Amino acid sequence: MSQKAKAKPNWVQHAWRERPGFQLQRQAVALAALGVFVAILMGALYLAQSSSVSTLGRQIEELIIQRNQLEQQNEQFRAEIAELRSVPRLLARAQELGFRSAAENEIEYLYVQGYIPSVDPSVVLAAPAAEALIPAAPTYDESFVGWLQQQWDQLSSQFDSFARGG
Amino acid sequence: MQASGVQQRDEMFNQRLPFVLVGMVIISGLLILKLLSFQQLAPEVVNELRPDYNREISLATARGIIYDHTGQRLAVNTIEYRIGISPNLVSEKQRVAAQLSTILGLDELATYQSLNSDQPWVQLAVGVNAAVGQELERLKQDGLIALTIEKTPRRNYPQGTLAAQILGFVAGNLRGYYGVEGKFQDQLAARPRTEVISDIPFELPPEQEADQGADIYLTIDRDIQFMVESQLVEAINSTGAKSGTIIVMNPRSGDLLAMASYPSYDPNAFREVQNPEDLKNSAISGIYEPGSVMKVVTVAAALEAGDITSQWTYNDQGRLDMAGIPVFNWDRQAHGVVDVTGVLVQSLNVGAANIALAMGPSDFYKGMSKFGFGRLTGVNLQGEEGGIMHVPGDSEWSESNLLTNSYGQGISVTPLQMITAVSAIANDGLMMQPNIVQRIIRDGQESVSKPIALGRAVSADVANLVRDMMVQVVQNGLDDQASLPGYTVAGKTGTAEIPIPTGYRSDAFIMSFIGFLPADDPQVIVLIKLDAPTSGRWASQVAAPVFRRLAERLVLLMEIPPDAVRQALAAQGGTITEIQR
Repeated sequence: MSQKAKAKPNWVQHAWRERPGFQLQRQAVALAALGVFVAILMGALYLAQSSSVSTLGRQIEELIIQRNQLEQQNEQFRAEIAELRSVPRLLARAQELGFRSAAENEIEYLYVQGYIPSVDPSVVLAAPAAEALIPAAPTYDESFVGWLQQQWDQLSSQFDSFARGG
Repeated sequence: MQASGVQQRDEMFNQRLPFVLVGMVIISGLLILKLLSFQQLAPEVVNELRPDYNREISLATARGIIYDHTGQRLAVNTIEYRIGISPNLVSEKQRVAAQLSTILGLDELATYQSLNSDQPWVQLAVGVNAAVGQELERLKQDGLIALTIEKTPRRNYPQGTLAAQILGFVAGNLRGYYGVEGKFQDQLAARPRTEVISDIPFELPPEQEADQGADIYLTIDRDIQFMVESQLVEAINSTGAKSGTIIVMNPRSGDLLAMASYPSYDPNAFREVQNPEDLKNSAISGIYEPGSVMKVVTVAAALEAGDITSQWTYNDQGRLDMAGIPVFNWDRQAHGVVDVTGVLVQSLNVGAANIALAMGPSDFYKGMSKFGFGRLTGVNLQGEEGGIMHVPGDSEWSESNLLTNSYGQGISVTPLQMITAVSAIANDGLMMQPNIVQRIIRDGQESVSKPIALGRAVSADVANLVRDMMVQVVQNGLDDQASLPGYTVAGKTGTAEIPIPTGYRSDAFIMSFIGFLPADDPQVIVLIKLDAPTSGRWASQVAAPVFRRLAERLVLLMEIPPDAVRQALAAQGGTITEIQR
């Protein structure tokens, strides 16, 4: 039975286990397996790094959007503050609180020793070329008549080009 | 039996294994080949795929902010929202309609009907403010993906109509027109920027820093500007004038502290302006014949040229016939022997014409040119006009121009030109260029504007002489209409006829006053101009009281002490410079 159980090896078993130099091939396979393992390890590291970068990128994008929104909100708040601090509103509020404009005889002027306002006395002589440094600004001509004229001109030019093409 | 079954299975396994291995090797080989083929895509396929991975976005740019000289915001940027929805992506239409109509303040039924539209996209609202827009953004983040929210930048003027003609406005194309917005368009507007960003998650997004336009600080004082605009409206209402202008300037530096014209407009709603002329700043573009205010310049130019002295006199007969035209005094009366001061105090046209004759055309127009007439002042605002001054050699000049120009008729100036010319008298003869910009800040770099002298119009001695004459005008010629208790004021009125194609109107006049104070150390100069007022016949009755009312508030706002206080403070050791604002 034991001899029967020992079946004749097929060609694969024969090639892998029983042909000469098997030990040498086993080392090569081991090296190849090690190479594959290292490649898998590197791949795994690369994937981990990539996913980390990807996550970070998304987070940065979200932060940029959040920052832009906050900047817009800040600008909006500044505009609202400026509106709330407009002179007519401040005057009305001051009057509500019982304040009034000071009369001339109610003001006392004091001399403050050593106080010199920051006045820059230097004067520059006008240069005729200085004007040229400032670019000419566009003129606003978006009146209804101007718009109508523009539309008419466009229509005319289209008609002309059509007529020439025909 | 069992052993032979196992043996048979092993044999079958051994026979099939090679086929399985070969099959796996072939499949693996094919997979590897396919993977390799992806690395070498055809160029057209690569080009087609690239736009899907990279997209170009335009970065929101922020236009520079405009401030007054104390740092109060006059022009800012805000965001408006345009809201739309894709109806076919909305499942619970009734609930969403209720939500949106509540937030947007719309009719619920109309919103529900919009959500049942066959259209792929429906606009729900435009011009939605930031608070509502941000609420809708949160709604979208919570799952209402059908909502489209489009942001549009908008220029906002939080002070409303204040300084509208100085600021100008920004149109829908984000270009500035008129005033500071127009003149400094290139500096205020941020450079438009686009950036390519990748949709590939492994590529980190680039730094998306939007460009920022330059911030501009004006020389305008918001409180003075408001007071000036209020006084102008009050003057228009009380005098029945059709329009008017007030300019407040520092004669020492040329800095404009306030500049207002009526009618004005709200730059937040510039499209609603009916008459495009109202968009212009008539203080710098509206030309007019200034009338007797010009006598100040005539006298100063004559004294400077040496054609007359302060002791010069003439015999006033109430009329002068010369160069084919008769020149009359305002009262059509003869005033006998009158000196130079008398010409100004009594505002005699015949006297001014006599001075011009003594000068001759050459000296007269040379003097006028020194005061800047006939050319731009160069103020840093868009739309300035240069006025009209005909000189000998022009086809339109005749000898009569010499006479009429001497008392401010037949010559056209802008209010800014006129105040700039008289400010030379206040500034010891040195004429400063009007300036509206105090400093410009771009990328943290600050450029501060320096006072610019346009040139010396007259010597300091002549300027002081004329200034004293102008003090006499206020003290003795105007019945205290322009006097300010406690302050020495120098000034001159002008009642000018309005030219029409056939001559001059007989039913309407332009009435103006230019004054500065304190006369011995001028810190502020004011021009009042009212067009066709009906409450009086002369500028001394109409324009001078407006100056007084304005100056009363101005000295408080600018903290200019009365003369006695100023001298007392100076006696304590402070100089005039040290106690000035």
